[in-house]
This record gives sequence, structure tokens and C-alpha cells, in this order.
Amino acid sequence: MRFWANAAVAGLAFSGAWLGVVEAKSVSGDRVLVLVPKVEAAKLYSQFLDSLTSRGFDVSVRAATNTSVALQVDGIRTYDHAVVLSPESKRLGANLSVRDFASFVDDGGNLIITASSDISELGRKLAARFGVEYEKRGTAVIDHVAHLRAINDTSDHTLVAAIPSRAATPVLSKQFARTQSSPVYFKGIAHKYEPSNPMLIPVLTGSRTTYSAAIGSDANEGASASISLSGKDAGLVSLFQTRNNARVAFSGSAALFSDALLSHEGGANKQFTTDVSQWVFQEKAVLRETAHRHYLASTGERPEHYRISNEIVYEIDLSVYHDDAWHPYNANDVQFEAIMLDPYIRTTLNSSDSVNPKTTATYHGDIKLPDRYGTFTFRVNYKRTGYSNVDVKDTVGIWPLRHDEYPRFLSAAYPYYIGSLVMALGFLALCAVWMWSAEPKTKRTAKQKSN
Amino acid sequence: MVNKVLGLTAADQASLLRIAILGLISLVAIGSRLYSVIRFESVIHEFDPWFNYRTTRYLVNNGFDKFWNWFDETAWYPLGRVVGGTLYPGIMVTSATIYNALHLINIPVDIRNVCVFLAPAFSALTAIATYHLGKEVKNATAGLLAAAFIGVAPGYISRSVAGSYDNEGIAIFLLVFTFFLWLRSVRLGSALYGALTAISYFYMVSAWGGYVFIINLIPLHVFALLAMGRFSNRLYVAYSTFYVIGTLASMQIPFVGFQPTFTSEHMAALGTFGLIQLVAFASFARTLVPENHFRILLRGAVVSLFVVGLGGLVLLTMSGVIAPWTGRFYSLWDTGYAKIHIPIIASVSEHQPTAWPNFFFDLNMLIWLLPAGIYFSFRELNDNHVFLILYSIFAAYFASVMVRLILTLTPIVCVLAGVAMAHVFETYLNFRDVPSATQTKAKAVPAVVASTDEAQRPTDSASGDILVEDADSASGHKKDGKRGKGAKKNAAKAVESTSDTSADGAAPSSAQPSTPASKELSPAHKRFYAIFPKFVVMTCFMFLLCMFQWHCSWITSTAYSSPSVVLSSRAPDGSHLIIDDFREAYYWLRKNTKPEAKVLSWWDYGYQLAGMADRTTLVDNNTWNNTHIATVGKIMASDEDTAYELARRHDVDYVLVVFGAMLGYSGDDINKFLWMVRIAQGVYPDDIKEEEFYNRQGQYAISDDASPAMKNSLMHKLSYYRFADVMGGQGFDRVRKQKLPTSVTLDNFEEAYTTENWMVRIYKVKDLDNFGRSHHAASKF
Repeated sequence: MRFWANAAVAGLAFSGAWLGVVEAKSVSGDRVLVLVPKVEAAKLYSQFLDSLTSRGFDVSVRAATNTSVALQVDGIRTYDHAVVLSPESKRLGANLSVRDFASFVDDGGNLIITASSDISELGRKLAARFGVEYEKRGTAVIDHVAHLRAINDTSDHTLVAAIPSRAATPVLSKQFARTQSSPVYFKGIAHKYEPSNPMLIPVLTGSRTTYSAAIGSDANEGASASISLSGKDAGLVSLFQTRNNARVAFSGSAALFSDALLSHEGGANKQFTTDVSQWVFQEKAVLRETAHRHYLASTGERPEHYRISNEIVYEIDLSVYHDDAWHPYNANDVQFEAIMLDPYIRTTLNSSDSVNPKTTATYHGDIKLPDRYGTFTFRVNYKRTGYSNVDVKDTVGIWPLRHDEYPRFLSAAYPYYIGSLVMALGFLALCAVWMWSAEPKTKRTAKQKSN
Repeated sequence: MVNKVLGLTAADQASLLRIAILGLISLVAIGSRLYSVIRFESVIHEFDPWFNYRTTRYLVNNGFDKFWNWFDETAWYPLGRVVGGTLYPGIMVTSATIYNALHLINIPVDIRNVCVFLAPAFSALTAIATYHLGKEVKNATAGLLAAAFIGVAPGYISRSVAGSYDNEGIAIFLLVFTFFLWLRSVRLGSALYGALTAISYFYMVSAWGGYVFIINLIPLHVFALLAMGRFSNRLYVAYSTFYVIGTLASMQIPFVGFQPTFTSEHMAALGTFGLIQLVAFASFARTLVPENHFRILLRGAVVSLFVVGLGGLVLLTMSGVIAPWTGRFYSLWDTGYAKIHIPIIASVSEHQPTAWPNFFFDLNMLIWLLPAGIYFSFRELNDNHVFLILYSIFAAYFASVMVRLILTLTPIVCVLAGVAMAHVFETYLNFRDVPSATQTKAKAVPAVVASTDEAQRPTDSASGDILVEDADSASGHKKDGKRGKGAKKNAAKAVESTSDTSADGAAPSSAQPSTPASKELSPAHKRFYAIFPKFVVMTCFMFLLCMFQWHCSWITSTAYSSPSVVLSSRAPDGSHLIIDDFREAYYWLRKNTKPEAKVLSWWDYGYQLAGMADRTTLVDNNTWNNTHIATVGKIMASDEDTAYELARRHDVDYVLVVFGAMLGYSGDDINKFLWMVRIAQGVYPDDIKEEEFYNRQGQYAISDDASPAMKNSLMHKLSYYRFADVMGGQGFDRVRKQKLPTSVTLDNFEEAYTTENWMVRIYKVKDLDNFGRSHHAASKF
């Protein structure tokens, strides 16, 4: 797996350079770039940044205007993760473009991109690349019912209190799975998302009373005429996992990460930002296949190729990373497929005794190969919301039987065997009769003549 | 014996000469096939030979057991191909045997060279086998002439130049040799020769699918002989031995398997086998029943059996017990059949009906010696000649239906031309009938001819017919020679007159005028009039023979010696240009892609890709799975997104197209594209429709006025992508003679490599977008 290789390389390089420093807890490296409008603005997010540092990340806070900031140098990532907390900046770092961010992600880098009602064009384009479409500039998420209630009732209706989606279980910690979980405070812009996109997890969306509209003169009254998004369609925080398992978070609110909201009592912003950043920075719900094997059930060895209808065993070891360690991944829906254009076999693998029960879970299947020769692909394609994709493919030849492997005698053919035997014997008998019964020639010819 | 030279008798001298001549014929046969190596290099040609070469290498490297059980995962991905069970192993085993034998005696020859020179070597054997066949049906003269003809006949050379490592290269030898053994076994009634025929037939079965021709022609011969009332114990022994051993042996080839017991192609042989048993029984019964009763009985029995057998065959075929004739066979009866039902067969140029110039091109003067040969066979009708007539009629029919079958016609044309030519030689090179000073009566001529003929071939069982005919045509030509000395240049007329006079040779009117004329002439004049016509005719024929040889060499060197993997052309200044784009592309694939990469191309290039690039292919020249080929056709004919989805499903990494617009190479994929569309339409009629690929004027256009389906098709895009850039604004397609399309966009594929002359273009299938978008959407960012 690519990210794992990256992580190993990064880890090696890192442990060489930073001996004695706290070990990285992300599996893909611990260099974090944080872009803020000005370096001083980092104070606003000190709690969030401190939590990153305390989790072992090497956090570099840079001003968005700092032109020496690059995500990649000569095609090699200079950071493993990036957090953009300057949604209004028109330029980021060394004039980073959408393409730069995309190639950073293609290279396995993880991103947290925040936005605000005053979102820059760059941020909008970047989000659009991932299928996240921000509302127009100058709009905000408004909720007249669920918002942060100030004591003096001058509460701001754009400071929405949203309940995280319970479906996103691997991302969010258990407390959000409860029916009465505390809200996450959000102030910013909404986005449209495609609910059917399997790569996108809308982790925080509006409630039934939430809508997005242009900020009117009196935000608390709202402007019903210009509502463009409402309810669940209004995405607030969405997560994206690319095909190469890089992770990206889009938050319509930079404030969500701010100390002000993090420290607010009754809110779950702290837990929420921790969960999201842990997920994005590959600290949790990282699934990997440590090994997989397939072999003949009879000999226990893997031949160069199988023969049709062979009985084989397929095994795959899966681990999941969370809480700073690899754990066995337990599930009952790991499927194996043997594909040749179409799946000939699709079967669920059962968990079995693991070689290394502390870190891996082994899934096992006794499989009878199809009675069909060809080049098959043995595939475990395990994609579950929130987890990294595991897609293990083996191209295996299934050969027809050797010329001497077919059954030698068929019971159905016994009449024919007997038939040919009788024929042969009869012929011999006839020959024998012919040869030994020959009369003296003279006698026979005489007889014929007389006829 | 008086005339001893070097202590050899006349007979020994003759056989020594024959051996020397045969040796020289073999040398010429081999030599004229080496043009391709001299012009280009020792390289395997064309398409199918690349498969044969690859499998031969596998056989040499891995041994016979592995070869026999070889399942090729890299062909027909992902279906794979059971190579061991779907090929005729004859040619590979032959080459491997030669290779191993040479290595055994420490001649470290490369397997490629064995393969390259196998066909020329076998052509020498073919010449020798043809000699024996000619000798079997007439005499050594005919044999030598036939051998000389087949040694250089372009119809055969086209399939057997050095580097053309194909089944036909050895199969023609086996075809001729099997027929020779068969005729001999029929003549001698020998079970030994019958068995040898069967063994030779087995070798043929192992070498080429054309063995079906043998297993239908020999039964047909037998059937014809039976129908003609020529049943004999010789025939019975020969056919029974041949059929039983030959069929059992042929079933040992996995590709053939049980086919001889249930396919229509083999039923004629089985039926004839049954019939001859009955006839044999009948002829045994004949000894017990009065003659006249028996004849009626026999005729009735034969006819009713034939009807019953045919009826049973039809019934079994209808009910599905016997596999019906395959499509390839139907296309032999109805030339339009393939185009409608099996476009994949019709798409191959060598399966097209033959244009008449092809016959002359491939056989030159032999083609008009063929009727003469048939005529002579009729004149002296024996069992062997019946065979020759049947063979020539059937082969001529098949050759006119399918271009490539000129190959099977060539041997019989050579043999019959040899027979006809031998008659001409015997007549006109016979100087013993030239009147000596004492001879005055022309009536003595036939007698002299007869005696000399007898002396020349004492072993030949020549009947009285031929002698009379010899004499007739001889006297007829005397008259001709006298009448028109100026008529000598026209070649065709010479033979016409030969056959004409032969045809009515017995008529007294043509023979009479010479008799009174000769009475009044002096002996010197008589000698002159006897020799001069011979001289004229022989000059004409020698000229024709020289022309034939010259024509053959010319055809061989210009038309049949191109390897087709390497092209050559002339620069404007006359210098020789070698266009090596194919190998350049294949070599690029070999060196720059991962070994398990799958390359999609039209099936024509499958074998070459496997052989030269060593990469997995989806379809190749072994067109066994029409659906898979249609899928490839569909990928080429669909719009980019559909094509991309299908290509991903088939794990395709690279797409290769051949594009000739830069050079004017007309055999490119755009010209083959309509066949791809047709084949795809046959399987996916809802998705691909041929008419959508013509523009509104009904033309097959490629430029901006092409139909939308054409412009959106993957093939069009891959071919013309960025081509206008290199050609500049005035771009022009040199093959189609049309303007270039102005904008060709490509989203899902990216150009990986284009060869020097843009003949081969290789595209990489993009990986799925990392962000899950379509490539078209992604390219907009």
C-alpha cells in the first residue's frame, strides 16, 4: 500500500533526524503545515495546534503570504499534512494552485481546508475539484432554532449548533454516536455535496432548520428569499478520501477550529476537531492488508498456476490503526472474488486464527475454483465508509487439466470397452478358425468344381 | 549394353541425370526463396509465423511435455488460450527436431534461423515429392517437369519464402507426398503403402487444417472409382488401410480430437469407408451370383445406400448429432455467405474470391497447360488419372472462391502441366521418326514412334491409345509447320493448336495432305520438313519456359519477399528506405512497459505483439472467439467514455493503433475500421451500427464532415490525435486523400509513444482519477 510505504520512508527519515523526539502517531508522517493569514493569527487556534503538537506532530505554522512555502519540492512532499486556516487569502504560499494541492494529494498528502463566508476563489476551486461546491461569497449558514444561545439573548443565528452525522462512525468517536450528543458550533459557509459520492463523507450537515442565505442586514431575521440550500443538503463539514487513501477535510468554517469555539462549554468542537484531524492525518480508521496468501488446500503450497476446480485456501490479514497502534480489524463482511470479466466466485471470508492476534485479524476462505480456465483476478475489494480502501488483487492463471490428469476409465464407457474387446477377441477367434480349419486345397477346389 | 559412359549403362546414366536435375531443381527452389533474407534480413514474416515462431521457441526451451500442456495466459486475456490443444503442432515439432538434431552434432544454430529457412528447405522436398507424383501418373519426364514447375511456381512461393514460417510451408510437401503415396498404394494395392499414406496423412493433420482437403479428396476418388465400376481389391486394401490408420492417428492430435467421428467435414470419408466394405462384400457375393443379376443388384444397392446414407447424414446433422459444416466451409460454397454471417472471415483479404489476374500472376503459363493436362488424363483414363482430374477440378473451384487456396491448386497444376509438357516433349523431341534416306512411306511413322516409345520407357504401362495420339499430333503438326511458319511467335496459339489437332487428330482430313506432299519431295526436304516444325514448336516452348522462370523470379522478388513487419520504399532520389516502425513500436513496448502490461490492438497485430513485444494481448490472429474480437471492435468504435469503461474492465494498459496517413500506408487501422464496426455490430447490434459511421453523403469520411459516431470513435481519435499539429495547417491524409479533422481531443487516454513515421501509435489508458471524477471533467481543471 502506497501510504504505508510513504509512512515507512517518512518514518525512517524522521527517526534518523529527530532522535528522541516523540514518535509520530500518524501512519503517514508527522510534518504538518499550517497556513494562517498572519503568523500572529495562529493564537486564535492555539488549542487546536497544541493538540496536534501533543499528538506528536511537527507543526510548522506559516503565514499564507509566505512565498517560500511549497507543498512539494522537485516532486517530493515537504509536508505530510496541511491545514489551511486562511480561507480569505487569495494567494497561498508560493502561489500554490489547485494543481499543486491536487498533486500533493495524489502524492499521499492530507489536507484540512477551511472556508468562511468570505471564501477566496482559490478555496472554492480547490473544493470543487473534490466535488464540494461552496455557496456564493457572502452567504452564511443560518439557523434560527439551533444556534449558540448567548446568555443575554443577543445570540448570533449564524453561529449554528449542528449535530454530527451518526453514520460517520469510524471518523467520529463514540460519544457522537449517542442520540443526545453535544452540538458542534459552526460559523461559516455551506456547501453542496453529492450524497451518492462514495468518496465523500458529509460528517456535519445542517439540521432541518438550517439554511444558507446571503447575510442580510439583520442576520438574525434572515432573508428567506435568497435561500439556496437548506436542511441536510447544506453541507458544513465534509470529508473526502481519495483513491490513494489520502484524506481531505472541507470545513465551511475556520472558526470551528478556533479557541473561542473549542473552549465553549456544552459544545463538542474540541472532540470534533480532534476526531476530524485524527482521521485526516491518518491516526485512525486506517485499514491495511498486512499479508494475503492463497494455496492449494491439499498441499498447502502455492503453485505457479492452478488447475480448474482446484480446492484452494485464500487468507488475508487485516489490521486497523487507531490509538497509536495497529489492532486486528474485525468484521464479518470481507468478501473474496474470483473475477474473469465477471465474478465467478464471490464469497464472504470467515475470520480465523490469526498468526499475530494482537495486531492482525485473519480472514479465511475455503474456495473451490470454477470449472473454467483463464486468467482470473483474485480480489478483495474492501471499501467501507471512513476506512481506508483495501483493494488486493492477484492475477492467477487457472489452467485446464494436463493431458494425463483426466480420468482414465469412465464408468459410462464400459459398454464400449467391452465392445471393442469382444470385437478384438472375435477377430482373433475368426482368424484362428480360418487358419486351422483350412481343408486341403485340392479337396475344396474339387468340391467347387463339382458345384 | 554398348553405350557405356564412365562405365554406366544408359539406364544408370538416366537415373544419375535425374538425380542431378532434381538436385538442381531443389537448389533453385531454395535459392529463389532467399530474396527476402537478402533484401531484408533473417526475420520472421507477417503475422501467423510469429505465433509459430513463439511456440517453437517455447517448445525448444520447455520441452514437449510442457508444450503439449501449455496454457497461454498472455493471449486472449483474460480468457487465455489452450495452446497445446488448439494448434497444429507439426511445424513446431519439425523445427524443434531439426534444431535438436543440429545441436546434437554440435552445430549451434539459432532456432530463429531454423524457422526462417524451414519453408525453403521443405520446398526442395516438395519438388522431390512432386517428381514422384509426376512419375507415378506418367513418367520421369513429367515428374521432372512438374518438380521444376513447383520449385518456382509463385502460387507456392507466396507461402514459403524464407521467413514465412507458416503451416503451409511444410503442409504442401505433405499434401503432395500423401497423394503420391496414395496413388502408389492404389496402383499396387499395397497395405504397406496404404499405411505409409496414413502416416503421411497423420503428419499432414498435425501440420495444417488443410488436411480436410485430403480426407475429402481421397474418399471422393474412391467413390468416383466405385461409381465408375472400377472397384478392385487394390483399391479396397489401399483405402481400408489408409482410412483406419489415418483416422485413428489423426485423432491423436488434440486439436482434431474426436472430430473425425462427428463433424460433417469427415463424414464423406466415413461413408465411403462403409460403402467400400459393402462393395467388397458385393464383389465377393458376385462370385456366388450370376453376372447379369449381380450388376442390377449392385447398382440398386449402391444407389439406395447412397440415398439412405445421405438421408441419415442430413437427419443426424439436423438433430445435432453430427456437427454441421463450419462457417468457413459454407463460405466455400457461397462467396457472399461470409460477408453476411461471419464478417471476421470476410475481413481477411486472403479469404476473398480470387480475381482472374491472380491465376496468371501465380501460375503464369501453367494455368493454360492445366486443361491440356486434364485432357491427356482423360485420354488415358486409369485410376490415378481419375484422381488427377478430381483434384484439379475441386482445387480449381476452391482456388477461385478463396485467394489463399490457389496454394492447394498449385501442386496439381504443376503436375498436370508437367504431364502436358512431357507429351509435348515426347512428341517434338522424338527424332527417330525423322525419315532416313531409305524411308519413303509416311505410314511408317506411327510404327517407329511406337517402337521408340516402347524403348524409352519399358517400365511404363503405356497403352496403345497414347501412341496413336502421339503419332496423330505429330503428323498434324507437320502440316501446321508447313502451313504457317510465321505463326510461331504466339505462345497461346501453339498450345491451342496442340490441343486442337490432338482433339481432332484422328480425323483423316488433317493427316491426309501430308501424305501426297511427301511423295514428291526429296529425302533432304523430307528431313527438313520433319525437323523444322519440331524446331519451331520447341523454340516456342523453350521461350515460354524461360519466360515462366523469369516471371516466377520476378514475382518472387517483387511481390512475395516482403516480410511485412519491415517495409521498404524508394526515396525520391531512388535510394532504398527501410521503414521499421512496427519493430520500433514493439521494441518500445518491450523495454518500457511492465512485463504484465496488457496491450489492446486489433487482432491482426496480436501475434506480433506477443512475439516481438512479449506483452499480453486481448485478441490475436487465432480468431477463435468472435465475441472477444467484437468487444475489441466495440472499444475501437465506441465513444471515449464507453471505450474507457470497457478497457478498464479488460485491464487494458495500452492501446496500439496502426496509422498510415503520414506515409500513405493503406493497410492501416482506419481502413480496417469498417470491419471492426461490422464485427462489433454482429455481437452488439444495439450499440454499434455501421451506417452511423458514414457521413450524410454516405461516404466513409474522416475529416470534419465525418459522421459524429466516426468522429467520436476511439479509433478515429487515437489515429488523428495531434496529427494535424505535425502536418501543419495544410494537413492531408495520404491514404484517404482527405483533409484532416481539425480538433481531436482525448481525455481518457494519453499518448505514450508514436513511431518515427507515425505508423504505430501507442496510448496509455489513464488510471482512474484519484478524486473519482471522469477524465473529461478532470481535464477541464
